[in-house]
Amino acid sequence: MTDAVTSPAPPSPPAPPPSSVRPVNCPNCGGTVNIRVAGTTVNVICEHCGSTLDATSPDLQVIAKADSALRRPQIALGSRAPLRGTTWEVVGYMERTDTEVSWGEYLLFNPYEGYAFLVDDGRRFSLGRLLDRLPKSGGLYGLAVDDTNFSPFGVPYGVQVTFVVGEFYWRVAVGEAVRETDYVTPGTMLACEDGQGERTWTRLDLLDWGEAESAFGIPNRRRNYDRPAPHEPSPYKARLFEAWVIGGIAAVTLFLVSGMAGSQQRIASANADVVLDGAEKTLVIKDVVLPPGNSRVAIDADASTLDNSWVDLDYSLTDQKTQDSVDSYGTAERYSGYDSDGSWSEGDPRPDVTLSSIPGGRYDLVVTLSAHKWTGASSYTPTASGDFFGGGGGQQSVPVTVTVDRGGIFGGNILLGLLVILAWPVIVLFQHLGFEKRRKAPITGSDDDDDSGDDE
Amino acid sequence: MKVCDYCHSAVLRTDAGLQAVGTIAEVPDDVSPLQLGVRGRDGARGFELIGRVRWRYADGAWNEWLALFDDGSTGWLSESSGHYMLLRQIDPAIIRSPIVEQMRGNYDILPGTQATIDGLDYWANDVKTVSCVASEGELPFNSLGLSARSVDLMAADEHCASIQKAKGELVEAYAGRYVTLAQIGATGLRAFEDWPMPAYRA
Repeated sequence: MTDAVTSPAPPSPPAPPPSSVRPVNCPNCGGTVNIRVAGTTVNVICEHCGSTLDATSPDLQVIAKADSALRRPQIALGSRAPLRGTTWEVVGYMERTDTEVSWGEYLLFNPYEGYAFLVDDGRRFSLGRLLDRLPKSGGLYGLAVDDTNFSPFGVPYGVQVTFVVGEFYWRVAVGEAVRETDYVTPGTMLACEDGQGERTWTRLDLLDWGEAESAFGIPNRRRNYDRPAPHEPSPYKARLFEAWVIGGIAAVTLFLVSGMAGSQQRIASANADVVLDGAEKTLVIKDVVLPPGNSRVAIDADASTLDNSWVDLDYSLTDQKTQDSVDSYGTAERYSGYDSDGSWSEGDPRPDVTLSSIPGGRYDLVVTLSAHKWTGASSYTPTASGDFFGGGGGQQSVPVTVTVDRGGIFGGNILLGLLVILAWPVIVLFQHLGFEKRRKAPITGSDDDDDSGDDE
Repeated sequence: MKVCDYCHSAVLRTDAGLQAVGTIAEVPDDVSPLQLGVRGRDGARGFELIGRVRWRYADGAWNEWLALFDDGSTGWLSESSGHYMLLRQIDPAIIRSPIVEQMRGNYDILPGTQATIDGLDYWANDVKTVSCVASEGELPFNSLGLSARSVDLMAADEHCASIQKAKGELVEAYAGRYVTLAQIGATGLRAFEDWPMPAYRA
């Protein structure tokens, strides 16, 4: 009975959490201005009239009066989207220029994470956070932050604010100037800003193509690598590695296959003794048979007993049926002696001649040989050489063996195959080098910076 | 000092007992995730935020939250544009830097001036004149009408320090490190409409 009388009132539902956005009226134009980071915001630029308001004064004093219609940033103030695991709200937007190029910077806020910057160079977006530590020196002339090395990029340059809207935690104003120095590593930039007796360090991570666009629901930027950002990793680098690995495998395969398929076959051999400084000698190898199709023919001469002498060899391979002939020549030679550096020897006593693409058929090979003594070496002792050949003081002669092989893959064909295989890796290499050159090129002016981001 | 939650009267505890010293301005509503009662930890030691001082300078404002550790000691969680410094008071005598003398003599201090504390190098990155505009909860000093000079220092790692001197007072120094709310495992944070509250492991 007492229960009904004294039953406690149902617990009141917990009060809903307060909004982080506080709407106020612009004292200049009366329009509604949303303060999104009350307590930290210092300057607000009214998005209706462009007046700069002092958020630290209780009644939003007008710092700079303006009555101009404002351009709206591509991503609207107040937009929220997740980027790299954190939901960010756009609270401010400014455009800055180094007088050559311009870019946009969105100020992002999350009550639990603080501030971030979304930098839009018209092509790609980068997400920036202020560093809470000072970089150390690292690398050759660079800096290091948390074990990541950054190389200096270009020289320090002046940066000026050209447009601003929304709210900021510093006294932002059009014309505000800082001096910026950039350091880069692929994918990340370290930007140092000096201004008004203060130095800040910002780490900017390049976002993937379309990452910021799809998060904030704006049209995707068109992929192009004509004017890369200083911290843009080369898109050709991964492809380059791939191309060289595949090219390497193909080249090895080419060598293996040519080694297996290209085994040579001996089809003829003949010997001749040629008298030194004597008459020409003619050697005829009859009935050299080549299979249908084109063959490679290798004619090797061997005159390994030559000593300070040479043998001229003229070859003529003649088709028995058509009497078409292919001519070539070789020289077997060997010289030796002594000089102030000691003994020396040079010359190839086993010259090879290769004829490619010889049609099938029956051929005669005519070899004309003539041997000559060389008397240029001062230390030359003819008797020693004469004794060696056992000529007994008479005419010395040189034995020469001529062999004919067919088959095997002509070296030129292998070279051609290699060129074809390596063409792709080399093209990618040049694409990569071209990208790196453009990335490092001094930034040159272009008139489409402000609107290049508005695709379609 | 204790600021009454309802009437914002400041009560100062002195050797003679409690003494009302005036009315403190209410801390203006700000979008800070911290509030009195938030708990966190520094390594193994837990703490609770029991007081706040709001400092203002020409170009902005920031909060300093008094943290009472479970062992009875105190520290400060400084909150400035989304960056947090967890600091403990140190003896200024251990700072090897011209800054301490420059503070005592009211001389100009340039950003970039070096300091060495416990063998670690710091550089001044922020020098400003500040005044206390509001406070709440319990504080170890009378914040009424307080104005001071403040120098923040950074290191090449997460370490940071702060050197302050209030008018007519001695130089005070604090050292610690930059932290995130995740690193201190903050719980009891303020909720905001339409913002997902992070769940840090306490």
